[in-house]
Amino acid sequence: MTPDAPMSIDDQQRAARRGSVSAATAFVIAYRVVLRQLTSRGRIIGLTALALIAPLSGWALGTADASLDDAVSLVASVGLGLVLPVVSLVFAGAAIGDLREDKTLVYLWLRPMDRWPIVVGAAGAAATLAAPIAIVPIVLAAALTGAGNGIVPGALLASVVGLIAYVAVFTLFGVWLKRFIVWGLAYILIWEGFIAQAGAGVARVALRKYTRSILVDRTGADLELADFSLAVGIIVPLVVAVVALAIAAWRLGSQDID
Amino acid sequence: MNELPPPTVFAPPDPGAAPSQGVPGAAPLSGKLVVDQVSKYFGSVVAVSDVSFAIDAGVTALLGPNGAGKSTLFRMLCGLTPPSRGRVSVLGADPRHDREVRGRISLVPQQDALFDHLTANEFVELAARSSGVVDAAGATASALEHVDLTDVGPKPVGQFSKGMRQRVKVAAALVNDPEVLILDEPLTGLDPVQRRHMIALFHRLGDDGRCVVVSSHVLDEVARIGSRVLVIAQGRLIARGDYRDLRELMDDRAHRIRVGASEPRRLAAALVEHGLATGVMVESDHVMVDALDADAFGRRVAPLAVGLGIRLTEVFPLDDDLESVFRYLVEGRS
Repeated sequence: MTPDAPMSIDDQQRAARRGSVSAATAFVIAYRVVLRQLTSRGRIIGLTALALIAPLSGWALGTADASLDDAVSLVASVGLGLVLPVVSLVFAGAAIGDLREDKTLVYLWLRPMDRWPIVVGAAGAAATLAAPIAIVPIVLAAALTGAGNGIVPGALLASVVGLIAYVAVFTLFGVWLKRFIVWGLAYILIWEGFIAQAGAGVARVALRKYTRSILVDRTGADLELADFSLAVGIIVPLVVAVVALAIAAWRLGSQDID
Repeated sequence: MNELPPPTVFAPPDPGAAPSQGVPGAAPLSGKLVVDQVSKYFGSVVAVSDVSFAIDAGVTALLGPNGAGKSTLFRMLCGLTPPSRGRVSVLGADPRHDREVRGRISLVPQQDALFDHLTANEFVELAARSSGVVDAAGATASALEHVDLTDVGPKPVGQFSKGMRQRVKVAAALVNDPEVLILDEPLTGLDPVQRRHMIALFHRLGDDGRCVVVSSHVLDEVARIGSRVLVIAQGRLIARGDYRDLRELMDDRAHRIRVGASEPRRLAAALVEHGLATGVMVESDHVMVDALDADAFGRRVAPLAVGLGIRLTEVFPLDDDLESVFRYLVEGRS
């Protein structure tokens, strides 16, 4: 058959049995598949155990009658700086990274579906699992510090914004990089945890600075490397998320699939 | 495949020669599936080198040893990886970039990877929905029936045997009623009954007007899959044509046979004297024999040995494996 040749009657009948796959359908398919792929008991138990560090630390600080600055610092460092990105990394990196590595991605890639709903669906599934495991302990930690003064809603807002951005960025890692966990940990621990602490300029390219800024804005605490306005603290991570997912969709469409 | 001429065995490439212009002597390539001067490199490794062919409705077997480039070729046909050079066209479109045409192709990949947490029904229905099949449930039931997997219940496919997993993959590939069906070693792990059943299914699909391409590295399997064969080795298309003609061509070559004997020197002399061997090499307890007519050799060697009072301990063909057949086709008759 040449490009201009009409389809045979058999082919037309077959085509009639196949409709087009809408973006919404592709999103739901990817979301469901990835959600079930990611739901492993070991992963959930391990990450929940890690996340419990936050409320335990909050409780310990609360019993010591610490200041607001100490409480905000704890939530920012342990909750927003460790628990949130690590939990996001494990789920979001694996969302498409695991499919790529175990060679099941072909079953989604080879279908007549746009790439972006697959990526957004996979990221959505990762966020669905990461949200309760990361956000609840962070908010609980904020509450247990007993610091009051807006720390709980501030922690909630910062966690939600941070989760969206981290999940998107680490979904991109999973699409693009073979050792996405290693690269993700390097980003969290070395870039955000070490290099970005060196100064305000470098910190601009660390998501942590934006989530810290939200927390500081909502509490009025005095914390270093957290001087963005609330609008910047929210908008920039969301823009980063959109860009990361767009790149991930492009990359998914252009890379080799095993 | 287009009407195939008598078998064509391509000569080894001349490193200094210009790239070939399609299949030598063939008309301009056209068909449901067109591979036109396609090469694929992974760094410095050449996986597929200047391959050209066209295939139309019916069953075509792609024969080649492991690592020959079959899977890479299939991946390019499905758009999973682009060719480094040349053009791949499926149903007149580029499968890498044309979303619509991907809905008309199905692939059974070689790797044993499935969504292990899903049941067979869920896995196949997922394939149906993601292909835009209007009646996904009905198509799923029909596809599972085609591969005899209607009564497997709610067990996840992760707990299936290898053969059952292969059949699930085939069902998932059939569920969107594809016009082009590409199956990479689909008979692996199947028992003989399932193999027969599956091969019959491929033929029904081919007779129904679909373009079915099946790869295998097992020579006898290919004999049953289809008479139309493409042979690939070391990334190059080395032969194409009717299976029986290719097989005859292969059988014309000299066969090397190891014959264990109590008196190898006497036996070697007798084999040459009776015209059963074109060359012999005597070892301590056996003779390495080059025989042009392996069948005649097999029939006559034992009576000859008995007549001479020589005890035979083994008669073992050394080059009846697929690798040697490919080597023969690549190097020419020698």
